[in-house]
Amino acid sequence: MNGLLDVRVAAVRQLTPLVREFTLEAEHGALPGFSAGSHVVVHMPAPGRTLRNAYSLLGDPAEAQRYRIAVRLQEDSRGGSRFMHEQVNEGDRLQLSPPANLFGLHSEARHHLLIAGGIGITPFLAQIAELERRGASFALHYACRGGLTDAYRGELAGRLGARFAAYDASAGERLDLAALLRSQPLATHVYVCGPQRLIDGVRSVAASLGWPQGRVHWEAFAAAAPGEPFVAELAASGRRLEVPADLSLLEALEQADVAVPSLCRGGVCGQCATRYSSGAVEHRDSFLAEAERAWQLMPCVSRGCAGSTLVLDL
Amino acid sequence: MSGEATGAMLSTPVYAPEVSILASGRRLLVVQDAGVEEAARLHGQLSADGQAVELIALRGEAPWAGGQRGCGSTDLLEVRLLTLLSSAPVGTRLYVCGDETFAWRIYRLARNSGLLAEEIELVKAGSQRELYCVHCATMQTIGRETETTCCHCGVQLLVREHFSRRLGAYMGVCINPDQPYAENKA
Repeated sequence: MNGLLDVRVAAVRQLTPLVREFTLEAEHGALPGFSAGSHVVVHMPAPGRTLRNAYSLLGDPAEAQRYRIAVRLQEDSRGGSRFMHEQVNEGDRLQLSPPANLFGLHSEARHHLLIAGGIGITPFLAQIAELERRGASFALHYACRGGLTDAYRGELAGRLGARFAAYDASAGERLDLAALLRSQPLATHVYVCGPQRLIDGVRSVAASLGWPQGRVHWEAFAAAAPGEPFVAELAASGRRLEVPADLSLLEALEQADVAVPSLCRGGVCGQCATRYSSGAVEHRDSFLAEAERAWQLMPCVSRGCAGSTLVLDL
Repeated sequence: MSGEATGAMLSTPVYAPEVSILASGRRLLVVQDAGVEEAARLHGQLSADGQAVELIALRGEAPWAGGQRGCGSTDLLEVRLLTLLSSAPVGTRLYVCGDETFAWRIYRLARNSGLLAEEIELVKAGSQRELYCVHCATMQTIGRETETTCCHCGVQLLVREHFSRRLGAYMGVCINPDQPYAENKA
Protein backbone atom coordinates (compact mmCIF):
# COMPACT_ATOMS: atom_id res chain seq x y z
CA MET A 1 0.00 0.00 0.00
CA ASN A 2 1.04 3.56 -0.84
CA GLY A 3 4.35 2.28 -2.19
CA LEU A 4 5.78 1.37 1.20
CA LEU A 5 7.91 -1.72 1.76
CA ASP A 6 6.83 -4.14 4.47
CA VAL A 7 9.84 -5.43 6.36
CA ARG A 8 10.55 -7.66 9.32
CA VAL A 9 13.30 -6.98 11.84
CA ALA A 10 15.63 -9.95 11.35
CA ALA A 11 18.29 -8.92 13.86
CA VAL A 12 19.04 -6.22 16.41
CA ARG A 13 22.54 -5.46 17.66
CA GLN A 14 23.44 -2.95 20.36
CA LEU A 15 26.72 -1.52 19.05
CA THR A 16 27.33 1.06 21.76
CA PRO A 17 25.09 2.28 24.58
CA LEU A 18 23.76 4.88 22.12
CA VAL A 19 23.77 3.05 18.78
CA ARG A 20 21.59 0.13 17.74
CA GLU A 21 21.78 -1.67 14.44
CA PHE A 22 18.75 -3.24 12.77
CA THR A 23 18.76 -5.79 9.97
CA LEU A 24 15.56 -5.68 7.93
CA GLU A 25 14.23 -8.29 5.53
CA ALA A 26 11.29 -8.20 3.12
CA GLU A 27 8.04 -9.62 4.42
CA HIS A 28 7.26 -10.86 0.94
CA GLY A 29 9.21 -10.77 -2.31
CA ALA A 30 12.56 -9.03 -2.57
CA LEU A 31 13.72 -5.61 -1.42
CA PRO A 32 14.62 -3.15 -4.19
CA GLY A 33 18.30 -2.60 -4.91
CA PHE A 34 19.96 0.61 -3.75
CA SER A 35 23.04 2.66 -4.52
CA ALA A 36 25.69 3.60 -1.96
CA GLY A 37 24.62 6.65 0.04
CA SER A 38 20.88 5.87 -0.10
CA HIS A 39 18.50 6.27 2.79
CA VAL A 40 15.05 4.98 3.65
CA VAL A 41 12.36 6.59 5.76
CA VAL A 42 11.23 4.24 8.52
CA HIS A 43 7.56 4.53 9.47
CA MET A 44 7.18 3.70 13.16
CA PRO A 45 3.77 2.84 14.53
CA ALA A 46 4.02 4.74 17.81
CA PRO A 47 0.86 5.01 19.88
CA GLY A 48 -1.29 7.84 18.59
CA ARG A 49 0.90 8.74 15.66
CA THR A 50 3.22 7.42 13.00
CA LEU A 51 6.80 8.60 13.40
CA ARG A 52 8.97 8.89 10.31
CA ASN A 53 12.74 9.12 10.41
CA ALA A 54 15.29 8.86 7.59
CA TYR A 55 18.18 6.43 8.05
CA SER A 56 21.06 5.63 5.71
CA LEU A 57 21.39 2.10 4.41
CA LEU A 58 24.75 0.91 5.64
CA GLY A 59 24.98 -2.52 4.06
CA ASP A 60 26.87 -3.40 0.90
CA PRO A 61 24.71 -2.30 -2.07
CA ALA A 62 25.70 -5.56 -3.79
CA GLU A 63 23.81 -7.47 -1.12
CA ALA A 64 20.39 -5.86 -1.19
CA GLN A 65 18.38 -8.84 0.10
CA ARG A 66 18.59 -7.30 3.55
CA TYR A 67 18.85 -3.68 4.58
CA ARG A 68 20.84 -2.57 7.60
CA ILE A 69 20.38 0.73 9.43
CA ALA A 70 21.91 2.07 12.63
CA VAL A 71 20.04 4.38 14.96
CA ARG A 72 21.62 6.70 17.50
CA LEU A 73 19.49 7.44 20.52
CA GLN A 74 19.01 11.22 20.55
CA GLU A 75 18.91 12.80 23.97
CA ASP A 76 16.33 15.28 22.74
CA SER A 77 14.53 12.61 20.74
CA ARG A 78 11.17 13.66 19.37
CA GLY A 79 10.20 10.03 19.66
CA GLY A 80 11.68 8.31 16.62
CA SER A 81 15.07 7.17 17.87
CA ARG A 82 13.64 6.36 21.31
CA PHE A 83 10.97 4.24 19.68
CA MET A 84 13.57 2.36 17.63
CA HIS A 85 15.69 1.78 20.74
CA GLU A 86 12.95 0.85 23.18
CA GLN A 87 10.08 -0.60 21.19
CA VAL A 88 11.53 -2.42 18.20
CA ASN A 89 12.63 -6.03 18.62
CA GLU A 90 13.51 -8.97 16.45
CA GLY A 91 10.49 -10.26 14.56
CA ASP A 92 8.68 -6.90 14.62
CA ARG A 93 7.24 -5.44 11.46
CA LEU A 94 7.98 -1.97 10.10
CA GLN A 95 7.27 -0.07 6.93
CA LEU A 96 9.85 1.75 4.86
CA SER A 97 9.77 4.16 1.97
CA PRO A 98 11.81 2.76 -0.96
CA PRO A 99 15.49 3.82 -0.96
CA ALA A 100 16.38 7.25 -2.34
CA ASN A 101 19.89 8.62 -2.76
CA LEU A 102 20.84 12.23 -2.07
CA PHE A 103 24.43 11.45 -1.15
CA GLY A 104 25.90 9.51 -4.07
CA LEU A 105 29.56 9.20 -5.00
CA HIS A 106 30.71 11.67 -7.65
CA SER A 107 31.60 9.99 -10.93
CA GLU A 108 34.47 12.35 -11.75
CA ALA A 109 36.26 12.03 -8.42
CA ARG A 110 39.58 10.22 -8.46
CA HIS A 111 40.00 10.39 -4.71
CA HIS A 112 37.12 10.29 -2.26
CA LEU A 113 37.69 11.96 1.10
CA LEU A 114 35.01 10.76 3.52
CA ILE A 115 34.46 12.60 6.81
CA ALA A 116 32.03 11.14 9.34
CA GLY A 117 30.91 12.50 12.67
CA GLY A 118 29.32 10.00 15.06
CA ILE A 119 26.29 8.26 13.58
CA GLY A 120 27.14 10.02 10.30
CA ILE A 121 29.35 6.99 9.67
CA THR A 122 26.39 5.02 8.28
CA PRO A 123 26.23 6.15 4.61
CA PHE A 124 29.99 5.69 4.36
CA LEU A 125 29.77 2.03 5.29
CA ALA A 126 27.82 1.45 2.06
CA GLN A 127 30.13 3.77 0.15
CA ILE A 128 33.37 2.09 1.20
CA ALA A 129 31.93 -1.26 0.12
CA GLU A 130 31.25 0.28 -3.27
CA LEU A 131 34.64 2.05 -3.45
CA GLU A 132 36.51 -1.12 -2.51
CA ARG A 133 34.71 -3.04 -5.22
CA ARG A 134 35.66 -0.37 -7.77
CA GLY A 135 39.24 -0.30 -6.55
CA ALA A 136 38.81 3.45 -6.07
CA SER A 137 41.09 5.66 -4.01
CA PHE A 138 39.56 6.88 -0.75
CA ALA A 139 40.20 7.73 2.90
CA LEU A 140 37.75 7.73 5.80
CA HIS A 141 38.10 10.11 8.76
CA TYR A 142 35.82 9.38 11.69
CA ALA A 143 35.22 11.91 14.47
CA CYS A 144 33.54 10.12 17.36
CA ARG A 145 33.24 9.67 21.09
CA GLY A 146 34.86 6.47 22.30
CA GLY A 147 32.41 3.89 23.66
CA LEU A 148 29.39 6.05 22.80
CA THR A 149 29.25 7.15 19.18
CA ASP A 150 32.10 5.13 17.69
CA ALA A 151 30.07 2.33 16.11
CA TYR A 152 32.02 0.11 13.67
CA ARG A 153 35.32 1.77 14.61
CA GLY A 154 37.24 -1.42 15.37
CA GLU A 155 35.89 -3.19 12.33
CA LEU A 156 36.79 -0.24 10.07
CA ALA A 157 40.30 0.07 11.49
CA GLY A 158 40.99 -3.59 10.71
CA ARG A 159 39.42 -3.49 7.29
CA LEU A 160 40.81 -0.20 5.98
CA GLY A 161 44.21 0.08 7.66
CA ALA A 162 45.98 3.28 6.66
CA ARG A 163 42.91 4.52 4.78
CA PHE A 164 41.12 4.98 8.11
CA ALA A 165 41.65 7.46 10.92
CA ALA A 166 39.50 7.90 14.02
CA TYR A 167 39.47 10.94 16.29
CA ASP A 168 38.12 10.16 19.72
CA ALA A 169 36.90 13.38 21.31
CA SER A 170 36.73 11.79 24.77
CA ALA A 171 40.47 11.06 24.48
CA GLY A 172 41.09 14.65 23.44
CA GLU A 173 41.77 13.78 19.80
CA ARG A 174 40.73 16.35 17.23
CA LEU A 175 40.22 16.20 13.50
CA ASP A 176 42.17 19.14 12.06
CA LEU A 177 40.04 20.02 9.06
CA ALA A 178 42.36 22.71 7.73
CA ALA A 179 45.37 20.39 7.71
CA LEU A 180 43.34 17.63 6.07
CA LEU A 181 41.76 19.77 3.36
CA ARG A 182 44.91 21.76 2.57
CA SER A 183 46.80 18.83 1.07
CA GLN A 184 44.35 16.89 -1.06
CA PRO A 185 45.29 16.09 -4.67
CA LEU A 186 43.32 17.59 -7.55
CA ALA A 187 40.22 15.60 -8.52
CA THR A 188 39.44 14.94 -4.85
CA HIS A 189 35.85 15.22 -3.73
CA VAL A 190 35.01 15.52 -0.05
CA TYR A 191 31.87 14.04 1.53
CA VAL A 192 30.75 14.86 5.03
CA CYS A 193 27.97 13.40 7.13
CA GLY A 194 27.39 14.10 10.78
CA PRO A 195 26.31 16.88 13.11
CA GLN A 196 25.59 20.29 11.60
CA ARG A 197 28.68 21.73 13.32
CA LEU A 198 30.95 19.30 11.46
CA ILE A 199 29.21 19.91 8.13
CA ASP A 200 29.47 23.68 8.59
CA GLY A 201 33.12 23.30 9.58
CA VAL A 202 34.03 21.29 6.49
CA ARG A 203 32.14 23.62 4.18
CA SER A 204 33.68 26.78 5.56
CA VAL A 205 37.25 25.44 5.78
CA ALA A 206 36.96 24.03 2.25
CA ALA A 207 35.68 27.34 0.92
CA SER A 208 38.48 29.26 2.60
CA LEU A 209 41.05 26.95 0.98
CA GLY A 210 39.59 27.47 -2.48
CA TRP A 211 37.55 24.28 -2.82
CA PRO A 212 34.68 25.00 -5.19
CA GLN A 213 31.24 23.94 -3.99
CA GLY A 214 31.11 21.23 -6.65
CA ARG A 215 33.73 19.24 -4.75
CA VAL A 216 31.98 19.36 -1.38
CA HIS A 217 29.09 16.98 -0.69
CA TRP A 218 27.22 16.79 2.57
CA GLU A 219 24.27 15.12 4.21
CA ALA A 220 22.75 16.44 7.40
CA PHE A 221 21.63 13.91 9.92
CA ALA A 222 19.37 16.14 11.89
CA ALA A 223 15.68 15.78 12.38
CA ALA A 224 13.58 18.92 12.32
CA ALA A 225 14.25 21.04 15.35
CA PRO A 226 11.23 21.91 17.44
CA GLY A 227 9.82 25.43 17.43
CA GLU A 228 6.78 27.39 18.49
CA PRO A 229 3.32 25.92 17.98
CA PHE A 230 1.42 27.53 15.11
CA VAL A 231 -1.68 27.14 12.96
CA ALA A 232 -1.70 26.05 9.32
CA GLU A 233 -4.74 26.37 7.09
CA LEU A 234 -5.33 24.34 3.93
CA ALA A 235 -6.60 26.71 1.23
CA ALA A 236 -8.54 24.07 -0.72
CA SER A 237 -10.64 22.76 2.16
CA GLY A 238 -10.33 25.51 4.75
CA ARG A 239 -9.16 22.91 7.28
CA ARG A 240 -7.10 24.25 10.13
CA LEU A 241 -4.25 22.24 11.65
CA GLU A 242 -2.71 22.99 15.02
CA VAL A 243 0.98 22.18 14.71
CA PRO A 244 2.47 21.54 18.15
CA ALA A 245 5.99 22.59 19.10
CA ASP A 246 7.53 19.13 18.81
CA LEU A 247 6.05 18.24 15.41
CA SER A 248 7.23 19.45 12.02
CA LEU A 249 4.68 20.87 9.62
CA LEU A 250 5.27 17.87 7.34
CA GLU A 251 4.54 15.48 10.20
CA ALA A 252 1.40 17.39 11.10
CA LEU A 253 0.22 17.22 7.49
CA GLU A 254 0.94 13.50 7.37
CA GLN A 255 -1.01 12.93 10.55
CA ALA A 256 -3.93 14.74 9.00
CA ASP A 257 -3.65 12.42 5.97
CA VAL A 258 -2.55 15.23 3.66
CA ALA A 259 -0.06 13.67 1.25
CA VAL A 260 3.05 15.75 0.59
CA PRO A 261 5.87 13.99 -1.27
CA SER A 262 9.10 13.99 0.74
CA LEU A 263 12.55 12.44 0.56
CA CYS A 264 15.23 13.74 2.90
CA ARG A 265 13.06 15.19 5.68
CA GLY A 266 16.00 17.44 6.50
CA GLY A 267 15.56 20.55 4.36
CA VAL A 268 18.04 19.73 1.61
CA CYS A 269 16.40 17.85 -1.25
CA GLY A 270 13.52 20.13 -2.22
CA GLN A 271 11.03 17.32 -2.68
CA CYS A 272 8.44 18.60 -0.18
CA ALA A 273 8.50 22.26 -1.28
CA THR A 274 4.95 23.56 -0.86
CA ARG A 275 3.31 26.80 -1.96
CA TYR A 276 1.76 29.12 0.55
CA SER A 277 -0.28 32.24 0.02
CA SER A 278 0.00 34.06 3.31
CA GLY A 279 1.41 33.87 6.81
CA ALA A 280 4.81 34.49 8.38
CA VAL A 281 7.31 31.67 7.79
CA GLU A 282 10.45 30.69 9.63
CA HIS A 283 12.50 29.19 6.78
CA ARG A 284 15.03 26.63 7.95
CA ASP A 285 15.86 24.76 4.74
CA SER A 286 19.09 24.84 2.74
CA PHE A 287 17.40 24.43 -0.61
CA LEU A 288 15.10 27.28 -1.62
CA ALA A 289 16.47 30.49 -3.08
CA GLU A 290 15.58 33.69 -1.28
CA ALA A 291 13.12 34.69 -4.02
CA GLU A 292 11.38 31.30 -3.89
CA ARG A 293 10.84 31.66 -0.18
CA ALA A 294 8.29 34.38 -0.80
CA TRP A 295 5.80 31.76 -2.01
CA GLN A 296 7.26 28.33 -1.11
CA LEU A 297 8.39 26.63 2.05
CA MET A 298 9.77 23.22 2.94
CA PRO A 299 7.45 21.77 5.60
CA CYS A 300 9.97 19.09 6.67
CA VAL A 301 11.97 21.72 8.57
CA SER A 302 10.34 25.12 8.16
CA ARG A 303 7.49 26.36 10.30
CA GLY A 304 4.89 29.04 10.50
CA CYS A 305 5.33 31.68 13.17
CA ALA A 306 3.33 31.71 16.37
CA GLY A 307 0.45 34.16 16.22
CA SER A 308 0.15 34.09 12.43
CA THR A 309 -1.87 31.63 10.35
CA LEU A 310 0.05 29.95 7.55
CA VAL A 311 -2.20 29.39 4.53
CA LEU A 312 -0.96 26.52 2.36
CA ASP A 313 -1.94 25.84 -1.26
CA LEU A 314 -3.08 22.34 -0.36
CA MET B 1 23.94 32.16 -50.44
CA SER B 2 24.40 34.47 -47.58
CA GLY B 3 24.59 33.07 -44.10
CA GLU B 4 22.84 35.06 -41.44
CA ALA B 5 24.93 35.59 -38.38
CA THR B 6 23.60 33.29 -35.68
CA GLY B 7 22.84 34.67 -32.23
CA ALA B 8 24.66 33.73 -29.04
CA MET B 9 23.49 30.51 -27.41
CA LEU B 10 23.71 29.05 -23.94
CA SER B 11 26.72 27.02 -25.03
CA THR B 12 28.58 30.01 -26.48
CA PRO B 13 31.56 30.75 -24.27
CA VAL B 14 31.50 34.09 -22.54
CA TYR B 15 34.86 35.47 -21.50
CA ALA B 16 34.61 37.68 -18.45
CA PRO B 17 36.45 40.99 -18.79
CA GLU B 18 38.08 40.42 -15.39
CA VAL B 19 39.27 37.16 -13.86
CA SER B 20 38.25 36.38 -10.30
CA ILE B 21 41.14 35.81 -7.95
CA LEU B 22 40.97 33.82 -4.73
CA ALA B 23 42.92 34.95 -1.73
CA SER B 24 44.35 31.48 -1.15
CA GLY B 25 45.44 28.58 -3.28
CA ARG B 26 48.08 27.97 -5.93
CA ARG B 27 47.96 30.01 -9.14
CA LEU B 28 48.99 28.53 -12.46
CA LEU B 29 49.16 30.73 -15.54
CA VAL B 30 49.43 29.27 -19.05
CA VAL B 31 49.90 31.74 -21.90
CA GLN B 32 50.07 31.14 -25.62
CA ASP B 33 52.19 34.16 -26.36
CA ALA B 34 54.06 35.92 -23.56
CA GLY B 35 54.47 38.92 -25.86
CA VAL B 36 50.81 39.91 -25.99
CA GLU B 37 49.41 42.65 -23.84
CA GLU B 38 46.63 40.45 -22.38
CA ALA B 39 49.21 38.03 -20.93
CA ALA B 40 51.15 40.82 -19.23
CA ARG B 41 47.98 42.34 -17.82
CA LEU B 42 46.71 38.98 -16.52
CA HIS B 43 50.04 38.25 -14.85
CA GLY B 44 49.93 41.68 -13.28
CA GLN B 45 46.47 41.04 -11.83
CA LEU B 46 47.46 37.64 -10.49
CA SER B 47 50.63 38.82 -8.79
CA ALA B 48 49.26 42.15 -7.53
CA ASP B 49 48.83 40.82 -3.98
CA GLY B 50 52.38 39.46 -3.87
CA GLN B 51 51.45 35.81 -4.23
CA ALA B 52 53.48 33.51 -6.44
CA VAL B 53 52.26 32.76 -9.96
CA GLU B 54 53.63 29.73 -11.77
CA LEU B 55 53.96 30.59 -15.45
CA ILE B 56 54.17 28.37 -18.52
CA ALA B 57 54.37 30.07 -21.93
CA LEU B 58 54.18 28.53 -25.38
CA ARG B 59 56.07 31.25 -27.19
CA GLY B 60 57.37 34.77 -26.74
CA GLU B 61 59.31 36.30 -23.92
CA ALA B 62 57.94 37.61 -20.64
CA PRO B 63 59.89 40.67 -19.46
CA TRP B 64 57.26 40.92 -16.71
CA ALA B 65 58.28 37.51 -15.38
CA GLY B 66 62.05 37.66 -15.25
CA GLY B 67 62.41 37.27 -19.02
CA GLN B 68 61.00 33.75 -19.01
CA ARG B 69 60.78 32.36 -22.56
CA GLY B 70 58.22 30.18 -24.26
CA CYS B 71 58.92 26.46 -24.30
CA GLY B 72 58.36 26.34 -28.06
CA SER B 73 56.12 23.34 -28.51
CA THR B 74 52.60 22.53 -27.41
CA ASP B 75 53.62 18.98 -26.49
CA LEU B 76 56.30 20.26 -24.15
CA LEU B 77 53.93 22.83 -22.67
CA GLU B 78 51.37 20.14 -21.98
CA VAL B 79 53.91 17.88 -20.30
CA ARG B 80 54.96 20.78 -18.04
CA LEU B 81 51.39 21.60 -17.17
CA LEU B 82 50.55 17.95 -16.42
CA THR B 83 53.57 17.75 -14.14
CA LEU B 84 52.42 20.83 -12.22
CA LEU B 85 48.83 19.59 -11.98
CA SER B 86 49.89 16.16 -10.75
CA SER B 87 51.36 17.72 -7.61
CA ALA B 88 48.79 20.49 -7.17
CA PRO B 89 46.35 20.40 -4.27
CA VAL B 90 42.64 21.19 -4.40
CA GLY B 91 42.38 24.97 -4.20
CA THR B 92 44.61 25.49 -7.25
CA ARG B 93 43.31 27.80 -9.97
CA LEU B 94 44.36 27.66 -13.59
CA TYR B 95 44.38 30.81 -15.72
CA VAL B 96 44.78 30.45 -19.47
CA CYS B 97 45.47 33.28 -21.92
CA GLY B 98 45.38 32.70 -25.66
CA ASP B 99 43.13 32.29 -28.67
CA GLU B 100 40.19 29.94 -28.43
CA THR B 101 41.99 27.08 -30.19
CA PHE B 102 44.73 27.20 -27.57
CA ALA B 103 42.61 28.04 -24.54
CA TRP B 104 40.13 25.22 -25.01
CA ARG B 105 42.86 22.69 -25.71
CA ILE B 106 44.43 23.56 -22.36
CA TYR B 107 40.98 23.59 -20.77
CA ARG B 108 40.29 20.01 -21.88
CA LEU B 109 43.68 18.84 -20.66
CA ALA B 110 43.05 20.43 -17.26
CA ARG B 111 39.55 18.99 -16.98
CA ASN B 112 40.95 15.56 -17.76
CA SER B 113 43.49 16.10 -14.99
CA GLY B 114 40.70 16.65 -12.48
CA LEU B 115 40.12 20.40 -12.42
CA LEU B 116 36.49 21.48 -12.40
CA ALA B 117 35.19 24.07 -14.85
CA GLU B 118 34.91 26.59 -12.00
CA GLU B 119 38.62 26.18 -11.24
CA ILE B 120 39.68 27.31 -14.71
CA GLU B 121 39.52 30.86 -16.09
CA LEU B 122 40.07 31.66 -19.73
CA VAL B 123 41.18 35.01 -21.07
CA LYS B 124 40.77 35.35 -24.82
CA ALA B 125 43.61 36.88 -26.82
CA GLY B 126 43.47 36.45 -30.59
CA SER B 127 40.70 35.35 -32.92
CA GLN B 128 41.72 31.87 -34.03
CA ARG B 129 39.17 29.17 -33.16
CA GLU B 130 38.22 25.59 -34.02
CA LEU B 131 35.31 24.59 -36.24
CA TYR B 132 33.83 21.09 -36.27
CA CYS B 133 32.05 19.97 -39.43
CA VAL B 134 28.98 18.11 -38.21
CA HIS B 135 28.72 16.30 -41.54
CA CYS B 136 32.17 14.68 -41.80
CA ALA B 137 33.47 15.19 -38.22
CA THR B 138 36.54 17.10 -39.38
CA MET B 139 38.07 19.82 -37.26
CA GLN B 140 39.59 22.88 -38.88
CA THR B 141 40.98 26.15 -37.62
CA ILE B 142 39.17 29.35 -38.60
CA GLY B 143 39.11 33.01 -37.63
CA ARG B 144 36.19 35.38 -37.16
CA GLU B 145 34.33 34.33 -40.35
CA THR B 146 30.71 33.21 -39.97
CA GLU B 147 30.76 30.94 -43.03
CA THR B 148 33.39 28.82 -44.67
CA THR B 149 33.98 25.64 -46.63
CA CYS B 150 34.83 22.36 -44.91
CA CYS B 151 38.44 21.53 -45.67
CA HIS B 152 37.60 17.83 -45.90
CA CYS B 153 34.13 17.28 -47.38
CA GLY B 154 33.86 20.61 -49.18
CA VAL B 155 30.37 21.42 -47.89
CA GLN B 156 29.71 25.12 -47.40
CA LEU B 157 29.33 25.64 -43.68
CA LEU B 158 27.57 28.15 -41.50
CA VAL B 159 29.58 28.73 -38.33
CA ARG B 160 27.06 28.37 -35.54
CA GLU B 161 27.63 29.92 -32.14
CA HIS B 162 26.87 26.52 -30.63
CA PHE B 163 30.09 25.47 -28.89
CA SER B 164 31.22 22.07 -27.64
CA ARG B 165 33.43 22.21 -24.58
CA ARG B 166 34.33 18.56 -25.07
CA LEU B 167 35.65 19.23 -28.57
CA GLY B 168 36.67 22.81 -27.90
CA ALA B 169 35.00 23.77 -31.18
CA TYR B 170 32.11 25.65 -32.75
CA MET B 171 29.69 23.64 -34.86
CA GLY B 172 29.70 24.06 -38.65
CA VAL B 173 26.48 23.06 -40.44
CA CYS B 174 25.56 22.95 -44.09
CA ILE B 175 24.53 26.48 -45.08
CA ASN B 176 22.38 25.49 -48.04
CA PRO B 177 20.06 22.50 -47.72
CA ASP B 178 19.74 22.40 -51.50
CA GLN B 179 23.43 21.75 -51.79
CA PRO B 180 24.52 19.36 -49.07
CA TYR B 181 27.75 18.48 -50.91
CA ALA B 182 30.80 20.18 -52.29
CA GLU B 183 30.21 22.49 -55.23
CA ASN B 184 32.60 20.86 -57.64
CA LYS B 185 30.99 17.43 -57.20
CA ALA B 186 27.89 18.05 -59.32
